[in-house]
Amino acid sequence: MGDAGLSEAEKTFILHSVQDDFREDGRGNEDFRHMELETSLISNTNGSARVRLANTDVLVGVKVQLTPVDPERPEVGRLEFFIDCSANATPAFEGRGGEELGSEISAMLTRAYAFPGAVDFHSLCVLPGQQCWLLYVDVLLLECGGNLFDAVSIAVKAALFNLKIPNVTMTKDEGGVELDLSDDPFDFKRLDVSGAPIIITVNKIGHYHVVDASEKEEECSLARLMLGVTEKGTITAMRKEGSGSLDPNSISDMMEVNTRFLCLPGI
Amino acid sequence: MPLDTRRLTGPESSQSPYNFAPVNKLDLTQLDKRPDGRSIKKLRPLFLRTNVVSQARGSSYIEMNETKVICAVYGPREVLRREDFSLKGQLTCDFKFTTFSCRQRRQYQQDSQEKDLSVLVLEALEPAVCLHKYPKSQINIFITVLQHDGSALSAAITCASVALASAGIEMYDLVVASSAAICGSVTLIDPTAQEEDALLKATVKPDNNAGSVTVAFLPSLSQVSAISSDGELSFEILNKSMQECVANCQKLYPVLEHTLVKHQQELEAGRS
Repeated sequence: MGDAGLSEAEKTFILHSVQDDFREDGRGNEDFRHMELETSLISNTNGSARVRLANTDVLVGVKVQLTPVDPERPEVGRLEFFIDCSANATPAFEGRGGEELGSEISAMLTRAYAFPGAVDFHSLCVLPGQQCWLLYVDVLLLECGGNLFDAVSIAVKAALFNLKIPNVTMTKDEGGVELDLSDDPFDFKRLDVSGAPIIITVNKIGHYHVVDASEKEEECSLARLMLGVTEKGTITAMRKEGSGSLDPNSISDMMEVNTRFLCLPGI
Repeated sequence: MPLDTRRLTGPESSQSPYNFAPVNKLDLTQLDKRPDGRSIKKLRPLFLRTNVVSQARGSSYIEMNETKVICAVYGPREVLRREDFSLKGQLTCDFKFTTFSCRQRRQYQQDSQEKDLSVLVLEALEPAVCLHKYPKSQINIFITVLQHDGSALSAAITCASVALASAGIEMYDLVVASSAAICGSVTLIDPTAQEEDALLKATVKPDNNAGSVTVAFLPSLSQVSAISSDGELSFEILNKSMQECVANCQKLYPVLEHTLVKHQQELEAGRS
């Protein structure tokens, strides 16, 4: 992040615009850009969504698969995140270039979804102690225009909302239990995502707190605070990013800015 | 693969016997005394030492009862690849749990949790190091957790900052980290692995708080260099535990100072 190649004068311009609460594209410091959200785009997935936030474009596909349960947690299903940083977005992602960013985003998502209330993990378990659903959440970054974490998290939540999990019938045999997947495309269940978190990033630019920063603005900020927040107002993951440090009071302020955005992208 | 009928083939996959062993459950809601006898607000005793790896530029070892971490710092040295050239020095961090450090055996290769922790340690240290003093060079930090009994991240950050300082790397401040586990209204300072585990498996009601927070702090600048939290927490509780962690970091700071003073004295004694 932050390779727009700004000159000192351009940085000062952005700094001043943030000071005046009137940013480059006419927004205030606490305004989001317009968001376009589409679901059910890709027929081969069980759930998909695409989010476009000005220049940021993210596509998410969810595929489900039956797997043996995790022996440590035999009663719940699992979620797995994978972020593909396509070289279409930035030449810097070519080869293994995007790997670091990808693993950072997936680590943040994994942590934000790690609490028991995120989705109904118990409903993802088909046969307790034996088989459960494993949701592969694959994210493709098509275009990077700043605020990737937020866009990805919104797209992930939308894709999970769109998810259709085929119903399974179980028949008891001599040799054990036999699982039968329903092949009727209308015989499915949905996943309750009302508890699922989204990530809100607050950037510190100068002494001001800015949400939904563009790529240029991200280059001007030395530190940002990323929070996974739920509709209820709870915080499910927090992380500071960037090379700067923050005052403890300023962290509290930034957290407050965060929680103000809770009801915003209610899908 | 063709099946060899003459040989007794074991199951394809194996599980740890601990999965079947009864776990002594820890009731986090009723904790007036913790399993190790501490009160909920008490930190574990900290043991710190420098100069444990003779080949490294700087190194340190930290022990918080059963959590043991060793860290070595190499560099500053030249950046090998030309395309990685930069006027600011580069800091790299490699965080590794030894295969035998946890209850379950860990893999030799760095897994995603370890990668995540590497990035967190790096972000905690970066604000403290005067990277502009090291153009065209890199500083490598290697952290190995020898034994994991909770709060490994905070131990690693503290250990790495002492190792950096003992290597003579110019820094604005030392970094001290501290962590807390939260369950309902109870905040456990400096949790052990048993307490962290109990929290993860706790079946808490949806509107309850359960999670953990780690704060890295620059004591003399009074700045937070990294913060990370897990689990579901309310804004007020998270804020409160953050302040508590900051206060604990302040408490630990003299230990770090003392260790470095001792390190310096040993160096000078060696010279004369």
